[in-house]
Amino acid sequence: MIEVRDLVKHYRGGDGGIVRAVDGVSLAVEAGEMVGLLGANGAGTTTTLRVLATLLRPTAGTALVAGCDSSADPVGVRRRLGYVSATTGVPDRLTPREILTSFGRLHGLAETALTDRVGQLIGQLGLASCADRPAGRLSSGQRQRVSVGRALVHDPPALVLDEPTSALDVIGSRDLLDLLTTLRAEGRAILLSTHRLHEIEHRCDRFVVIHGGRVVAAGTRAELVRDGGELEDAFFAAVAGAGAP
Amino acid sequence: MTGLRATLAAARAVAGFQLARLCTPARLGLAALGMLFPAVVLLAIRRSTTGPLERSFGAVVLYALVPEAVCMLGLLMTMCPAVADELERGTWVHVATRPGGRRALVLGTFIAAVTWTTAVGLGAVLLAVLAGGMTDPWGLIAMFAALVVLSCVGRAALFALPAVVLPSRALVASVGVAVVVEYLAGFLPAVINQATVSLRLRSLLVHWMGWRQRMPPQLRLIVDPQPVWVQCAAVVVLAIVFLTVAIMILERRQFPPSEEG
Repeated sequence: MIEVRDLVKHYRGGDGGIVRAVDGVSLAVEAGEMVGLLGANGAGTTTTLRVLATLLRPTAGTALVAGCDSSADPVGVRRRLGYVSATTGVPDRLTPREILTSFGRLHGLAETALTDRVGQLIGQLGLASCADRPAGRLSSGQRQRVSVGRALVHDPPALVLDEPTSALDVIGSRDLLDLLTTLRAEGRAILLSTHRLHEIEHRCDRFVVIHGGRVVAAGTRAELVRDGGELEDAFFAAVAGAGAP
Repeated sequence: MTGLRATLAAARAVAGFQLARLCTPARLGLAALGMLFPAVVLLAIRRSTTGPLERSFGAVVLYALVPEAVCMLGLLMTMCPAVADELERGTWVHVATRPGGRRALVLGTFIAAVTWTTAVGLGAVLLAVLAGGMTDPWGLIAMFAALVVLSCVGRAALFALPAVVLPSRALVASVGVAVVVEYLAGFLPAVINQATVSLRLRSLLVHWMGWRQRMPPQLRLIVDPQPVWVQCAAVVVLAIVFLTVAIMILERRQFPPSEEG
């Protein structure tokens, strides 16, 4: 469902030099699977996710969502992908219902179908009690749920989430990850990045560790973690083994 | 939904967002200031003269104050931050990952900017004409209402270009574009001025006020003798061209994570 092949993304840096943000990353996420993309700041996780979300064009390689190429068919990718970022970007003055409706219109959903879909999402996301309250008066957890709802409004088969729990407290994080588990059970392919490894250690089916723009380790928890260890230990071992970027 | 209907629905959704953002006490205060300022100027001029303001003089002052100054400032405030605001508020990634998001952002912001600034401009014209006490006030109001609408449509589309090319410097770039394109190229008696909104507005003012026959020959070079419909159509064509180019540029724009927030 989500596939990245030999992805390369270079930027021109502020000093005029070339920044190799992503340098040959390959990964895949099947339908009904949740994969954790792990990496330190600057490792290339956000850039990889943004290429998948069609925000950036790859320098080389391909990024596919449900068979659509992010370079050749960005509109096709946008129809099939929901993107959630760490910054919710939820407008303070609008209510969750208005936000979801507005983004549904951006997807060209017909008004009747849109009203039904928004009502369904509000129930699924547990936003019924605050659906008509301005978003500026919502908690961080509720705002992130609105953000997830915004990504789901067009019912995409694939979801990409960039540090979705970074601004949430422990309860908000657990609620959101519970919701992602439900979405995975519905058959969606989910790729998420996070720095809070303990939160996703037992929730993701597989993990991909990126360091210096390259994949340095990949596999299930059982494949990555040695006896008695934790995912964090496996992450540090993979990064240390790769050396300086 | 068909492509056109979907695009219009998406643009309407963005316009709703942008108009809601403009309804803050500070922005409403600026709108009130924009409406009152020309009336205060005309009132001050009227007080310094005896009797009602001479119609032609009043029209020149009103033209400089409303379709030029007030509309230009209103559009700088509403159209220039089209992309910069989204980057700063963290909403760019959410809009740009929708099928018609980038196109809707340009069109929706354009609709909001034109709606907002036209409302301010029309209010300013109404108050200023009444304050000026000129003869045939409703004729003047109708004429300036048309000039305000055309000024907003043409220049909002023009300012869409710096908004998408240089989001972080859009205000400075737009002022530069206004000075160089509208006030420098627009006054050149050469083919280049055909592509400016200021030539069209000036020509309409001269036509509707019946000034052309009385103008010195050298001044006739900076107005276009074509009929009214040509001037109006030219503004619409310019707006379509500017918006199309802006959308094409924005569809290709990439903003590395470091350029956001």
